[in-house]
Amino acid sequence: MTTEPMQAVREFIIGRNPKLDGLSNDLDLIDSRAINSLAFIEFIFLLEELTGESIDPEDLNLDDFRTLKALETRFFTKEAAC
Amino acid sequence: MAVRDIEPVVLDLGRLENLAESGYYNPYTMFEWPDAIESELPWMSENLTTLAGTPMWDELTREQQITLTRFEAINFFSLNIHGIRELMSEVVMRIHEHTYANVSEFLHHFIGEENEHMWFFAQFCLRYGGKLYPAQPALKADSGDHFSSVARELIVFARILIFEEIVDYYNANMATDQSLPHIVREINRVHHQDESRHVAFGRMIFTNLLAQVAKRDPDEVPVVAEYLENYLQYSISTLYNPAAYRDAAIPDALALRRRALAHPARVEAHDRVLKRTRRFLSKAGAGREIIK
Repeated sequence: MTTEPMQAVREFIIGRNPKLDGLSNDLDLIDSRAINSLAFIEFIFLLEELTGESIDPEDLNLDDFRTLKALETRFFTKEAAC
Repeated sequence: MAVRDIEPVVLDLGRLENLAESGYYNPYTMFEWPDAIESELPWMSENLTTLAGTPMWDELTREQQITLTRFEAINFFSLNIHGIRELMSEVVMRIHEHTYANVSEFLHHFIGEENEHMWFFAQFCLRYGGKLYPAQPALKADSGDHFSSVARELIVFARILIFEEIVDYYNANMATDQSLPHIVREINRVHHQDESRHVAFGRMIFTNLLAQVAKRDPDEVPVVAEYLENYLQYSISTLYNPAAYRDAAIPDALALRRRALAHPARVEAHDRVLKRTRRFLSKAGAGREIIK
Protein backbone atom coordinates (compact mmCIF):
# COMPACT_ATOMS: atom_id res chain seq x y z
CA MET A 1 0.00 0.00 0.00
CA THR A 2 1.28 3.46 -0.91
CA THR A 3 2.31 5.81 1.83
CA GLU A 4 0.42 8.77 0.32
CA PRO A 5 -3.17 8.29 1.52
CA MET A 6 -5.00 10.35 -1.11
CA GLN A 7 -3.05 8.54 -3.80
CA ALA A 8 -4.27 5.24 -2.34
CA VAL A 9 -7.83 6.58 -2.40
CA ARG A 10 -7.45 7.57 -6.07
CA GLU A 11 -5.96 4.18 -6.95
CA PHE A 12 -8.85 2.41 -5.25
CA ILE A 13 -11.44 4.38 -7.23
CA ILE A 14 -9.63 4.11 -10.57
CA GLY A 15 -8.94 0.41 -9.98
CA ARG A 16 -12.65 -0.24 -9.57
CA ASN A 17 -13.67 2.06 -12.42
CA PRO A 18 -11.28 1.42 -15.30
CA LYS A 19 -13.71 3.13 -17.69
CA LEU A 20 -13.79 6.32 -15.61
CA ASP A 21 -12.95 9.30 -17.78
CA GLY A 22 -10.92 11.48 -15.44
CA LEU A 23 -11.08 11.74 -11.67
CA SER A 24 -11.37 15.38 -10.66
CA ASN A 25 -11.39 16.58 -7.08
CA ASP A 26 -14.99 17.69 -7.49
CA LEU A 27 -16.47 14.60 -9.15
CA ASP A 28 -19.47 13.40 -7.16
CA LEU A 29 -18.26 9.88 -6.39
CA ILE A 30 -21.67 8.71 -5.17
CA ASP A 31 -23.91 10.11 -7.93
CA SER A 32 -21.44 8.99 -10.61
CA ARG A 33 -21.38 5.54 -8.94
CA ALA A 34 -17.58 5.61 -8.89
CA ILE A 35 -18.17 4.34 -5.35
CA ASN A 36 -21.29 2.19 -5.42
CA SER A 37 -23.04 0.28 -2.69
CA LEU A 38 -21.00 -2.88 -3.36
CA ALA A 39 -17.66 -1.05 -3.15
CA PHE A 40 -18.60 1.06 -0.16
CA ILE A 41 -17.58 -1.38 2.56
CA GLU A 42 -14.17 -1.92 0.97
CA PHE A 43 -13.76 1.83 0.76
CA ILE A 44 -14.59 2.24 4.45
CA PHE A 45 -12.01 -0.41 5.36
CA LEU A 46 -9.43 1.34 3.17
CA LEU A 47 -10.08 4.66 4.91
CA GLU A 48 -9.84 2.98 8.32
CA GLU A 49 -6.53 1.44 7.37
CA LEU A 50 -5.15 4.71 5.99
CA THR A 51 -6.25 6.83 8.94
CA GLY A 52 -5.72 4.22 11.66
CA GLU A 53 -9.13 5.15 13.05
CA SER A 54 -12.36 3.18 13.03
CA ILE A 55 -15.40 4.62 11.29
CA ASP A 56 -18.72 4.12 13.06
CA PRO A 57 -21.21 2.79 10.48
CA GLU A 58 -24.05 4.32 12.50
CA ASP A 59 -22.49 7.74 12.25
CA LEU A 60 -21.68 8.21 8.57
CA ASN A 61 -22.23 11.52 6.83
CA LEU A 62 -22.57 10.76 3.14
CA ASP A 63 -21.33 14.24 2.21
CA ASP A 64 -17.91 13.32 3.65
CA PHE A 65 -17.63 10.71 0.88
CA ARG A 66 -18.99 12.65 -2.09
CA THR A 67 -15.78 14.11 -3.53
CA LEU A 68 -12.03 13.64 -3.22
CA LYS A 69 -11.92 17.13 -1.76
CA ALA A 70 -14.47 16.25 0.94
CA LEU A 71 -12.64 13.00 1.72
CA GLU A 72 -9.33 14.79 2.12
CA THR A 73 -10.85 17.41 4.39
CA ARG A 74 -12.69 14.88 6.56
CA PHE A 75 -10.11 12.14 6.84
CA PHE A 76 -6.67 13.45 5.95
CA THR A 77 -6.45 17.09 6.99
CA LYS A 78 -4.97 17.62 10.40
CA GLU A 79 -6.39 20.55 12.32
CA ALA A 80 -3.90 23.42 12.38
CA ALA A 81 -1.81 23.43 15.51
CA CYS A 82 -2.41 26.39 17.83
CA MET B 1 -42.84 0.38 -6.61
CA ALA B 2 -42.91 0.78 -10.40
CA VAL B 3 -43.65 -2.81 -11.36
CA ARG B 4 -46.76 -2.26 -13.50
CA ASP B 5 -44.78 -2.57 -16.71
CA ILE B 6 -43.58 -6.01 -15.62
CA GLU B 7 -45.47 -9.05 -16.82
CA PRO B 8 -46.97 -11.19 -14.04
CA VAL B 9 -44.56 -13.87 -12.88
CA VAL B 10 -46.17 -17.27 -13.47
CA LEU B 11 -44.28 -20.32 -12.19
CA ASP B 12 -45.21 -23.93 -11.52
CA LEU B 13 -44.49 -24.09 -7.80
CA GLY B 14 -46.86 -26.91 -6.77
CA ARG B 15 -44.07 -29.35 -5.96
CA LEU B 16 -42.14 -26.81 -3.87
CA GLU B 17 -45.32 -25.78 -2.00
CA ASN B 18 -46.12 -29.44 -1.23
CA LEU B 19 -42.59 -30.01 0.05
CA ALA B 20 -42.80 -26.89 2.24
CA GLU B 21 -46.06 -28.16 3.74
CA SER B 22 -44.99 -31.77 4.25
CA GLY B 23 -41.59 -30.81 5.66
CA TYR B 24 -42.93 -28.18 8.04
CA TYR B 25 -41.37 -28.28 11.50
CA ASN B 26 -41.46 -26.25 14.68
CA PRO B 27 -38.07 -24.52 14.90
CA TYR B 28 -38.76 -23.32 18.42
CA THR B 29 -38.88 -26.85 19.80
CA MET B 30 -36.80 -28.95 17.43
CA PHE B 31 -33.31 -27.98 18.61
CA GLU B 32 -31.75 -29.12 21.84
CA TRP B 33 -29.65 -26.17 22.89
CA PRO B 34 -26.78 -27.24 25.18
CA ASP B 35 -25.87 -24.90 28.03
CA ALA B 36 -22.39 -24.51 26.59
CA ILE B 37 -20.37 -25.76 23.64
CA GLU B 38 -17.26 -27.88 24.02
CA SER B 39 -14.37 -25.40 24.29
CA GLU B 40 -11.89 -27.49 22.33
CA LEU B 41 -14.06 -27.91 19.23
CA PRO B 42 -14.16 -25.54 16.25
CA TRP B 43 -17.52 -23.83 15.61
CA MET B 44 -16.87 -23.51 11.91
CA SER B 45 -15.21 -26.02 9.60
CA GLU B 46 -11.53 -25.15 9.62
CA ASN B 47 -11.26 -25.46 5.84
CA LEU B 48 -14.04 -22.87 5.51
CA THR B 49 -12.45 -20.16 7.62
CA THR B 50 -11.23 -17.08 5.78
CA LEU B 51 -7.56 -17.85 6.42
CA ALA B 52 -7.68 -21.54 5.46
CA GLY B 53 -4.91 -22.64 3.12
CA THR B 54 -2.73 -19.60 3.79
CA PRO B 55 0.39 -19.07 5.93
CA MET B 56 -1.75 -16.66 7.96
CA TRP B 57 -3.68 -19.65 9.33
CA ASP B 58 -0.52 -21.68 9.99
CA GLU B 59 1.03 -18.79 11.92
CA LEU B 60 -1.81 -18.83 14.48
CA THR B 61 -1.52 -20.84 17.67
CA ARG B 62 -4.01 -23.72 18.00
CA GLU B 63 -5.90 -21.67 20.56
CA GLN B 64 -6.13 -18.71 18.17
CA GLN B 65 -7.32 -20.99 15.37
CA ILE B 66 -10.14 -22.37 17.51
CA THR B 67 -11.04 -18.86 18.71
CA LEU B 68 -11.15 -17.63 15.11
CA THR B 69 -13.54 -20.44 14.12
CA ARG B 70 -15.87 -19.31 16.89
CA PHE B 71 -15.94 -15.67 15.86
CA GLU B 72 -16.18 -16.56 12.17
CA ALA B 73 -19.16 -18.79 12.99
CA ILE B 74 -20.79 -15.88 14.81
CA ASN B 75 -19.97 -13.67 11.80
CA PHE B 76 -21.39 -16.25 9.37
CA PHE B 77 -24.63 -16.58 11.32
CA SER B 78 -24.82 -12.78 11.76
CA LEU B 79 -24.46 -12.37 7.98
CA ASN B 80 -27.31 -14.83 7.59
CA ILE B 81 -29.47 -12.76 9.92
CA HIS B 82 -28.74 -9.47 8.12
CA GLY B 83 -29.17 -11.10 4.72
CA ILE B 84 -32.54 -12.52 5.79
CA ARG B 85 -33.62 -9.11 7.12
CA GLU B 86 -32.92 -7.61 3.72
CA LEU B 87 -34.55 -10.33 1.65
CA MET B 88 -37.62 -10.57 3.90
CA SER B 89 -38.28 -6.85 3.66
CA GLU B 90 -38.01 -7.02 -0.14
CA VAL B 91 -40.31 -10.03 -0.44
CA VAL B 92 -42.85 -8.68 2.05
CA MET B 93 -43.18 -5.55 -0.09
CA ARG B 94 -43.93 -7.68 -3.17
CA ILE B 95 -46.22 -10.45 -1.93
CA HIS B 96 -49.76 -10.12 -3.37
CA GLU B 97 -48.65 -7.33 -5.70
CA HIS B 98 -50.13 -7.85 -9.17
CA THR B 99 -46.79 -9.02 -10.62
CA TYR B 100 -46.30 -11.66 -7.93
CA ALA B 101 -49.90 -12.76 -7.30
CA ASN B 102 -49.32 -16.17 -8.88
CA VAL B 103 -46.31 -16.96 -6.67
CA SER B 104 -47.67 -15.49 -3.43
CA GLU B 105 -48.59 -18.88 -1.98
CA PHE B 106 -44.96 -19.93 -2.12
CA LEU B 107 -43.82 -16.52 -0.88
CA HIS B 108 -45.85 -17.10 2.30
CA HIS B 109 -43.83 -20.26 2.96
CA PHE B 110 -40.66 -18.42 2.06
CA ILE B 111 -41.23 -15.51 4.45
CA GLY B 112 -42.30 -17.82 7.28
CA GLU B 113 -39.30 -20.11 6.89
CA GLU B 114 -36.85 -17.24 6.61
CA ASN B 115 -38.17 -15.72 9.83
CA GLU B 116 -37.61 -19.06 11.55
CA HIS B 117 -34.08 -19.34 10.18
CA MET B 118 -33.33 -15.88 11.47
CA TRP B 119 -34.57 -16.96 14.89
CA PHE B 120 -32.30 -20.00 15.23
CA PHE B 121 -29.26 -18.17 13.88
CA ALA B 122 -29.84 -15.40 16.42
CA GLN B 123 -30.34 -17.96 19.21
CA PHE B 124 -26.95 -19.46 18.46
CA CYS B 125 -25.15 -16.11 18.30
CA LEU B 126 -26.71 -14.76 21.49
CA ARG B 127 -26.52 -17.98 23.54
CA TYR B 128 -22.93 -18.87 22.74
CA GLY B 129 -21.33 -15.72 21.32
CA GLY B 130 -23.19 -13.20 23.45
CA LYS B 131 -23.70 -10.94 20.43
CA LEU B 132 -24.37 -10.51 16.75
CA TYR B 133 -21.94 -8.64 14.54
CA PRO B 134 -23.68 -5.52 13.20
CA ALA B 135 -24.61 -5.24 9.54
CA GLN B 136 -21.80 -3.74 7.52
CA PRO B 137 -22.26 -0.14 6.38
CA ALA B 138 -24.45 0.24 3.32
CA LEU B 139 -24.70 3.05 0.81
CA LYS B 140 -28.40 3.73 0.65
CA ALA B 141 -27.97 6.56 -1.87
CA ASP B 142 -27.13 4.01 -4.57
CA SER B 143 -30.62 2.72 -5.26
CA GLY B 144 -30.05 1.20 -8.69
CA ASP B 145 -31.87 4.04 -10.49
CA HIS B 146 -29.79 3.40 -13.60
CA PHE B 147 -31.54 0.04 -14.13
CA SER B 148 -34.96 -0.42 -15.75
CA SER B 149 -37.77 -1.31 -13.35
CA VAL B 150 -37.78 -4.95 -14.50
CA ALA B 151 -33.99 -5.20 -14.11
CA ARG B 152 -34.32 -3.82 -10.58
CA GLU B 153 -36.82 -6.58 -9.82
CA LEU B 154 -34.44 -9.13 -11.31
CA ILE B 155 -31.61 -7.82 -9.14
CA VAL B 156 -33.71 -8.04 -5.97
CA PHE B 157 -34.36 -11.74 -6.57
CA ALA B 158 -30.84 -12.37 -7.90
CA ARG B 159 -29.34 -10.95 -4.70
CA ILE B 160 -31.57 -13.27 -2.67
CA LEU B 161 -30.56 -16.26 -4.82
CA ILE B 162 -26.84 -15.49 -4.69
CA PHE B 163 -26.93 -14.97 -0.94
CA GLU B 164 -28.76 -18.27 -0.46
CA GLU B 165 -26.47 -20.24 -2.78
CA ILE B 166 -23.30 -18.97 -1.08
CA VAL B 167 -24.67 -19.67 2.38
CA ASP B 168 -25.81 -23.10 1.24
CA TYR B 169 -22.28 -24.05 0.19
CA TYR B 170 -21.19 -23.50 3.79
CA ASN B 171 -24.29 -25.15 5.28
CA ALA B 172 -23.97 -28.27 3.14
CA ASN B 173 -20.34 -28.74 4.14
CA MET B 174 -20.80 -28.00 7.84
CA ALA B 175 -23.93 -30.16 8.15
CA THR B 176 -21.75 -33.27 7.87
CA ASP B 177 -18.47 -32.06 9.42
CA GLN B 178 -18.01 -34.43 12.37
CA SER B 179 -15.39 -32.17 13.94
CA LEU B 180 -18.10 -29.59 14.75
CA PRO B 181 -20.36 -29.55 17.83
CA HIS B 182 -23.71 -31.28 17.31
CA ILE B 183 -25.79 -28.09 17.56
CA VAL B 184 -23.66 -26.40 14.87
CA ARG B 185 -24.13 -29.34 12.51
CA GLU B 186 -27.87 -29.37 13.20
CA ILE B 187 -28.38 -25.67 12.45
CA ASN B 188 -26.46 -26.02 9.19
CA ARG B 189 -28.35 -29.20 8.28
CA VAL B 190 -31.82 -27.76 8.88
CA HIS B 191 -30.99 -24.58 6.99
CA HIS B 192 -29.54 -26.53 4.08
CA GLN B 193 -32.73 -28.59 3.87
CA ASP B 194 -35.02 -25.54 3.59
CA GLU B 195 -32.70 -23.59 1.36
CA SER B 196 -32.71 -26.22 -1.36
CA ARG B 197 -36.37 -25.27 -2.00
CA HIS B 198 -35.63 -21.56 -1.82
CA VAL B 199 -32.76 -21.93 -4.28
CA ALA B 200 -35.00 -23.88 -6.68
CA PHE B 201 -37.60 -21.08 -6.49
CA GLY B 202 -34.90 -18.41 -6.81
CA ARG B 203 -33.58 -19.93 -10.01
CA MET B 204 -37.07 -20.14 -11.51
CA ILE B 205 -37.96 -16.53 -10.76
CA PHE B 206 -34.52 -15.37 -11.91
CA THR B 207 -35.01 -17.09 -15.27
CA ASN B 208 -38.46 -15.54 -15.70
CA LEU B 209 -37.34 -11.99 -14.89
CA LEU B 210 -34.12 -12.28 -16.91
CA ALA B 211 -36.20 -13.21 -19.96
CA GLN B 212 -38.29 -10.10 -19.38
CA VAL B 213 -35.18 -7.91 -19.13
CA ALA B 214 -33.75 -9.42 -22.34
CA LYS B 215 -37.05 -8.96 -24.16
CA ARG B 216 -37.30 -5.28 -23.18
CA ASP B 217 -33.67 -4.41 -23.93
CA PRO B 218 -31.03 -7.10 -24.64
CA ASP B 219 -28.29 -4.52 -24.08
CA GLU B 220 -29.23 -4.30 -20.40
CA VAL B 221 -28.33 -7.96 -19.77
CA PRO B 222 -24.53 -7.42 -19.77
CA VAL B 223 -25.00 -4.48 -17.37
CA VAL B 224 -26.97 -6.75 -15.03
CA ALA B 225 -24.29 -9.45 -15.43
CA GLU B 226 -21.62 -6.97 -14.36
CA TYR B 227 -23.64 -6.01 -11.30
CA LEU B 228 -24.13 -9.67 -10.36
CA GLU B 229 -20.43 -10.48 -10.70
CA ASN B 230 -19.65 -7.53 -8.42
CA TYR B 231 -22.30 -8.77 -6.02
CA LEU B 232 -20.70 -12.23 -5.93
CA GLN B 233 -17.35 -10.66 -5.02
CA TYR B 234 -18.99 -8.38 -2.47
CA SER B 235 -20.79 -11.29 -0.82
CA ILE B 236 -17.57 -13.25 -0.44
CA SER B 237 -15.78 -10.24 1.02
CA THR B 238 -18.37 -9.89 3.81
CA LEU B 239 -17.12 -13.19 5.24
CA TYR B 240 -13.81 -11.46 5.96
CA ASN B 241 -14.80 -9.38 8.96
CA PRO B 242 -11.95 -7.49 10.65
CA ALA B 243 -14.01 -7.42 13.85
CA ALA B 244 -13.81 -11.23 14.00
CA TYR B 245 -10.01 -11.08 13.59
CA ARG B 246 -9.81 -8.49 16.37
CA ASP B 247 -12.02 -10.61 18.63
CA ALA B 248 -9.66 -13.53 18.03
CA ALA B 249 -6.79 -11.23 19.16
CA ILE B 250 -5.12 -11.35 15.74
CA PRO B 251 -3.20 -8.10 15.16
CA ASP B 252 -3.45 -5.77 12.14
CA ALA B 253 -6.96 -6.95 11.28
CA LEU B 254 -7.44 -4.70 8.24
CA ALA B 255 -4.10 -5.52 6.65
CA LEU B 256 -4.68 -9.19 7.37
CA ARG B 257 -8.09 -9.00 5.70
CA ARG B 258 -6.61 -7.34 2.63
CA ARG B 259 -3.83 -9.93 2.36
CA ALA B 260 -6.19 -12.85 2.94
CA LEU B 261 -8.75 -11.71 0.35
CA ALA B 262 -6.06 -11.51 -2.32
CA HIS B 263 -4.17 -14.70 -1.40
CA PRO B 264 -4.14 -17.22 -4.29
CA ALA B 265 -5.38 -20.02 -2.03
CA ARG B 266 -8.34 -17.86 -1.03
CA VAL B 267 -9.08 -16.80 -4.60
CA GLU B 268 -9.27 -20.52 -5.44
CA ALA B 269 -11.53 -21.10 -2.43
CA HIS B 270 -13.82 -18.26 -3.59
CA ASP B 271 -14.06 -19.85 -7.03
CA ARG B 272 -15.08 -23.13 -5.42
CA VAL B 273 -17.81 -21.42 -3.38
CA LEU B 274 -19.11 -19.53 -6.42
CA LYS B 275 -18.74 -22.30 -9.00
CA ARG B 276 -22.32 -23.54 -8.89
CA THR B 277 -23.82 -20.04 -9.01
CA ARG B 278 -21.53 -18.87 -11.80
CA ARG B 279 -22.42 -21.97 -13.82
CA PHE B 280 -26.12 -21.21 -13.37
CA LEU B 281 -25.70 -17.55 -14.33
CA SER B 282 -23.71 -18.50 -17.45
CA LYS B 283 -26.27 -21.07 -18.49
CA ALA B 284 -29.07 -18.55 -17.95
CA GLY B 285 -27.22 -16.03 -20.15
CA ALA B 286 -26.09 -13.60 -17.45
CA GLY B 287 -22.58 -14.88 -16.68
CA ARG B 288 -19.48 -12.72 -16.32
CA GLU B 289 -18.29 -13.68 -19.82
CA ILE B 290 -20.88 -11.34 -21.38
CA ILE B 291 -19.74 -8.27 -19.44
CA LYS B 292 -18.69 -5.55 -21.90
